[in-house]
Amino acid sequence: MNWLTTRRHFALMIAPALIIYSVYMIYPILYSLYYSFTDFDGVSANGFAGLANYRQMAQDDAFWTSMRNTGIVLGIALFLLIPLGFLLAVLLGGRVKGSGALRALVFAPAIIAPILVGLIWIFLLDPKIGLVNAFLLAIGVPAHPQWIGGPTLSPYAIGLVYLWQQIGFVLTIFYAGLRMLPRDVMEASSLDGASRWQQLRHIQIPMLRETFGIVTALVVTGVFKVFELVYALTGGGPVHLSEVMVSYMYHITFTTQQYGYGMALAVVVFVVGALASAATFLGNRRKGEAR
Amino acid sequence: MATSSQPAPLTSRRPSGISRRLLLTATASAMFVTATACGSAVNTAGGSSSDGLITLSMQNPDSRTQDPATWQLVQEFNKKHPDMKIKLEGQPVDQHQQRMTIAAQSGTLPEIFWVYDSLAKTMVKNGDLLDLTPILAENGLRAKFAPSMLAGFRSGTVQYGLPYQALITGFYYNKAILDEHGIPVPVTFDELVAAVKKLRTAGVVAIAQGANNSSFSVWAFLTMLDRFGYESKYRDILSGRAGYDNPDFLRLYQHVEALAKAGAFPTNMNTQTYAQAVASYTSGKAAFLDAGIWEAAKIQKSTVGKDTGFWAGPTFSDGVGNQKLVMNVPSAPFVVSAKVEQDKKKYAAVQAFIQFYYSDAGQKILVDNAQPPVTTYQPDIDTTKNSVFTAVLAEASRPGWTSPGAQPDLVVSAATASAMYDSFYGVMGGSLSPEEAVQNVQKTIK
Repeated sequence: MNWLTTRRHFALMIAPALIIYSVYMIYPILYSLYYSFTDFDGVSANGFAGLANYRQMAQDDAFWTSMRNTGIVLGIALFLLIPLGFLLAVLLGGRVKGSGALRALVFAPAIIAPILVGLIWIFLLDPKIGLVNAFLLAIGVPAHPQWIGGPTLSPYAIGLVYLWQQIGFVLTIFYAGLRMLPRDVMEASSLDGASRWQQLRHIQIPMLRETFGIVTALVVTGVFKVFELVYALTGGGPVHLSEVMVSYMYHITFTTQQYGYGMALAVVVFVVGALASAATFLGNRRKGEAR
Repeated sequence: MATSSQPAPLTSRRPSGISRRLLLTATASAMFVTATACGSAVNTAGGSSSDGLITLSMQNPDSRTQDPATWQLVQEFNKKHPDMKIKLEGQPVDQHQQRMTIAAQSGTLPEIFWVYDSLAKTMVKNGDLLDLTPILAENGLRAKFAPSMLAGFRSGTVQYGLPYQALITGFYYNKAILDEHGIPVPVTFDELVAAVKKLRTAGVVAIAQGANNSSFSVWAFLTMLDRFGYESKYRDILSGRAGYDNPDFLRLYQHVEALAKAGAFPTNMNTQTYAQAVASYTSGKAAFLDAGIWEAAKIQKSTVGKDTGFWAGPTFSDGVGNQKLVMNVPSAPFVVSAKVEQDKKKYAAVQAFIQFYYSDAGQKILVDNAQPPVTTYQPDIDTTKNSVFTAVLAEASRPGWTSPGAQPDLVVSAATASAMYDSFYGVMGGSLSPEEAVQNVQKTIK
């Protein structure tokens, strides 16, 4: 113990991790930040561009669309994914026959690669060959909504597919949280005549506050990494109307070869994502301290 | 409890002192490691000793099925040159462009590679590409090319690229479907709109298009741009003396909007890929396909092969300049890494491959795989077995018809080209008005 507590040895012990972290995390961030102030095209020497890339971003309609779409996916994740994940965890957490199999089934999409999830959902949501519209037609609904590929519904469809993909993961965390709750508290409340709803409202949800915090943090950070779903479902189209921030950054950087502008977008994605995550963690900490 | 709360002040003080020093050490180490890594990448790429092994990197992940001509050319070359070897590799277009860009940054470009001309031009400026003039001077190779085939890939006196394949683009059409609905093969834009309306009424997809991750698939519409004076305007547009949002181009986009409103495009155009659009045509579900000569072999082998013809696209009564235009231009080029010059064996292998590729034997392999020759080689084609390929070549060599010098998207930056693709698909899908479409392209021109 004494050997470890000396400054030199402590530094030696953490140096490898710190070096790796610096090389793989801090250096790319600083690298992106530097290039965001240049007009680098990916190949030739870069010139200093000042704030030009950030000014271009402010005037770029597609960027604001991607920001709005990320907000829509975030909204769906916060207001549908988390409550539904919790509800399913409660429903499937009971001693119901087949609940184990059902949990596995709900979890299954979480282990499928996002690009495959996108491809699967094309066959459901495609306005022409999709099963959803075929079903609507079969039951006599004449309208053929453009769930994906149209100018309006695509970001909502992406949000819902993200929900489908992630709900098993969220359910599993809540399920683990529910299993950790002390059983005697529930038994005591039952003896006191608490209804199932009262147990949920006044015991389980308050006691799972930290779990809710962790899930919220994971979901918020996850939303800012959505890429493959968009890539497979719509390719960001039509005309970038279904881009999210990361997919638009990819398009600008690698398709249009505007590395400087792409890095400016990457910096903004990082900052917005970091702020959202920080706000979530801060909110969780304050709630924890208030208790 | 007491022991657990006591050390708190100690641990909270210590890391702050240590972290400052460590951060400096870590940053220095990180810079050292990165510099070392970059250095080694540069050194290995242009190694001074080799066994004549060179890499040819293409825009297809599976050349054997997606680009059989190149695949066969490489196999034949490897057979004929046992002392040299070409390793053929590839990725989808976007990934390929990205990979070549990163390789240029790290100095690890493959010896020969396909690349969009806009990126090639950037690489030339950076000194990443080999001047191919000396190779062209050997064995009379330069004389095998029509001057227009080389002119587009020259920067000053540097010949940085050679034509990979010829790009003949337009609409394939299914004669059986047109006959069934009493539609003659259109010539003018008005006839195309009339055909589309009839096909729509009959519930047939008129023009197969796929925009999902393939927004570049607007070749026939790029030719239409030339029928509204693109070739005579683009230099002024790029230099700021004129705008892409000029009345002539706007008129074209209004025509495209009219075509879309007539029901020309499939409802899932934005979610299907180009490959799916081709599949819908080859399975007989669409009357027209916007594509190029590279699909001739696939269409020939399909059930619609015997019924397929090729059309250069509609003429416009309100177009600008010559309407008798067919797109027959060199596609994106083959280029060679400048580092090849540092290695005699690699240079010899590259030189031998280029000589073989553009020899008559090499061009015959292209023709055998339904690709037009890029040299002056005159092929013998079995017109019954290759009716689709023959139809494309016939359209490209119609008397009195000429070709623009280059495809419109190949003479602008990647950002502008991307905006051009989006502008057409935006209007076709109803997401953009013609005015918004031309303005969006204009915004990308700096």
